[in-house]
Amino acid sequence: MDIRIFRIHSKLIELVWPKEISHEILHEQQQVRRFLEMEYAEGIREIRMGFNTLSLKLRIEISEEDCRDILEEINQMPKIHGTFASKIWKVPVCYCTEFGKDLEKLAQIHQLSIDEIIKIHSETIYTLHFYGFLPGFMYLGGLDEKLFTPRKSSPERSMPSGTVAIGGKQTGIYPSESPGGWHAIGQCPVRLFDISKEIPVIPAVGDKIKFEPITREVFVEIKQLSNQGLCTWHHD
Amino acid sequence: MIKTPAYIHFVQPGLLSSIQDLGRFGMAVYGVPYSGVMDRFSMTQANYLLQNQFYDSVLEMGGPGAKMVFEMPTRVVFAGADADIYLNEKQVKAGKILDINEDDTIHVRKFRKGQWLYMGIQGGFESEIVAESRSWYPGITPQSRIEKSDSVCYLSEERFYPALGSHAKMNLNWFKHGEIKVFKGPEWDQLPKLTQNRIMKKSFTISTLVNRMAYQLEETIENEVEPILTAPVYPGTVQMTPNGNIIILMRDAQVTGGYPRILHVENNSLNILSQKRPGDKISFSI
Repeated sequence: MDIRIFRIHSKLIELVWPKEISHEILHEQQQVRRFLEMEYAEGIREIRMGFNTLSLKLRIEISEEDCRDILEEINQMPKIHGTFASKIWKVPVCYCTEFGKDLEKLAQIHQLSIDEIIKIHSETIYTLHFYGFLPGFMYLGGLDEKLFTPRKSSPERSMPSGTVAIGGKQTGIYPSESPGGWHAIGQCPVRLFDISKEIPVIPAVGDKIKFEPITREVFVEIKQLSNQGLCTWHHD
Repeated sequence: MIKTPAYIHFVQPGLLSSIQDLGRFGMAVYGVPYSGVMDRFSMTQANYLLQNQFYDSVLEMGGPGAKMVFEMPTRVVFAGADADIYLNEKQVKAGKILDINEDDTIHVRKFRKGQWLYMGIQGGFESEIVAESRSWYPGITPQSRIEKSDSVCYLSEERFYPALGSHAKMNLNWFKHGEIKVFKGPEWDQLPKLTQNRIMKKSFTISTLVNRMAYQLEETIENEVEPILTAPVYPGTVQMTPNGNIIILMRDAQVTGGYPRILHVENNSLNILSQKRPGDKISFSI
């Protein structure tokens, strides 16, 4: 483990891993998170994740020296080998050009057919690293290099709720209508965020996501069920 | 004590008006911003004067124009920005507890100094509680802004109020100074010394890009700092973009961001900063 600790102020500190998106780092982040939640339950107000960070908001004040001690403890904590149990969630996506407004342009950029883009995108199994950007927006790791695409130079004013898109080295689903600079390749009919639930999202950090191509007809069916609150998530 | 639900009817909504409390915590891991009042100092003052709970919700106004009619008696108090406020066409002062009767009208006209005005009300507002907070935020609460002819609920209390001759003397200059206290952010040390010095010595101007999510500064700082992998950000995080824009995240900030986090604004300074208006000058001090 190569972890640094950075103290922003006495109640806000950050643990930093090397700058990469990897399963190994996610695994370590989850271990450290569980360890800290057990050891320092009363002192911690909130733990947030980034790709290579764990940010700790504290209830108590801590010094630079305390930070060094915590880092020492983390480095000495018992290591769990293997992986955490995780589910593979099947997320339906309609990859038609009506929803995937940028499919044709992406095919041109990458010298691939639209079908090849859909195949590459839907055959990959993605890992949920954390939620951010918008309520219910999943930061997914695992996009195939062949689909890496720089973000649009000026963002679209509105991406409809459910839009599946590619931006830079990432792919994701817009859980609500929002401006966005990513390239739209399809739309997901399933509701991704429900504030009326105690836990407003379904997949947990560390779970896997697999996109399942569906037709326009199936999209309409699932969307109707989803609007009535009858749509359920499926996993392997 | 009998409490009766009553409504304030907004004849005019004013600018960026919403109901806010201290914010929504514990949901950031699902991507939900904290929200809450932009200026906690003024909100707390209003609640204190009314002997409310310190966390009771208040009406936040981001500019002039709000005109509202009260259905039933209550008490309100104003704090925050220095604005011209009228109760039934008679000008009233911030910090004074105002006894409101049935059908009274409050009209907020000109903002003289400051960006956010608060109206505290006896017992707070009775708007919907979502995930343990009344703070309005798009997509989370049914409404995100007060629109023309909206109504907001409060509880009218039938009780005898002794007449109050005096009122709190409000210091309307508390947010006058431009020095914003900051801590070093996680990416501060990646900036060359020269760039660091430039940022600490410069006087910055608040741009017109000012809202509940972020305040952007007018001046840019040339930099070649490496982009980061998406990481947690908070109200108070100061970001620097590749083309040198400096963006200070405010209460409705997203929970993660991809720009280097060079500084972090200290809590009291964030209240002061929130009251700055486009054109106002600030400088950072560590």
